[in-house]
Amino acid sequence: MARPIQPLQPDPVGQVTTEAPGRPGLFRRPSTWGASIFLAFGLILLLRITDAIDATTGFILMVAAMTLMFPLVKTALARQKAQGYLSPAITRYNRRFLLASFGYVLGLGLAVTINDRVALSDGETILIALLPIIPVFGMIWTMARYIVEEEDEYLRHRAIMASLTGLGLVLTFGTFWGFLETFEVVPHIWAWWVFPAWAIGMGISQCWLAFRDRTGGRS
Amino acid sequence: MKNRLKVLRAERDWSQQTLAEKLNVSRQSVNAIETGRYDPSLPLAFRIADLFELPIEAIFLRDTES
Repeated sequence: MARPIQPLQPDPVGQVTTEAPGRPGLFRRPSTWGASIFLAFGLILLLRITDAIDATTGFILMVAAMTLMFPLVKTALARQKAQGYLSPAITRYNRRFLLASFGYVLGLGLAVTINDRVALSDGETILIALLPIIPVFGMIWTMARYIVEEEDEYLRHRAIMASLTGLGLVLTFGTFWGFLETFEVVPHIWAWWVFPAWAIGMGISQCWLAFRDRTGGRS
Repeated sequence: MKNRLKVLRAERDWSQQTLAEKLNVSRQSVNAIETGRYDPSLPLAFRIADLFELPIEAIFLRDTES
């Protein structure tokens, strides 16, 4: 049975006052839903690679797995609220990113399905390719708006530092891989990988900064 | 940059959360400023100074000061 979230501990001079002694129940932890999404996507990918399911079934399962984003966002917001601060900009960011993510899965699924089944001209193919591209642009716009709208200057600073870390990762890895590719040492990587690579770098940086905040450490 | 935020907060028996709410910032901000991981902007430094009714230089110290 899920335990209730413990109230904040009165600690007038402590470095960290939000580490509650009791952990929330399994289904109230964002990590549970985050891991579930990764597992679901991994499983669907495995089934698709091994041809256990066809493309249409894979697409439907991906859309179904995307619904796990709702409890992930809900528990993440509840956790932030329990820690004493929920920025309105973060709430807007989560809502916009969730919409863009759904748009991406739907757009990608439709684009792949149409491309596989219909003979398209170059112009039509470009239009079909826009189906997943526009939601990704939406994600990038959402990230930019968060930095503009965040009124807490430290959280804004953290987001900017995380974005720069992601950018550094993309530039470093892209340059390294690009030259290896030029000399035919490694296989070709599609250019759309820049966004996931940037987002991964940003995510790692945000996790590190959040961990440092929780422990009250100094870099 | 060093600061006396933790001492001033302790004198008033305020938690980081209480101070954060009075300044309308996140608790993470207070924690980062207190531990010297983040130097606040001038407007936020003025808000902190106003809250404690002290001049900025009585709260934030130059690195050469002890």
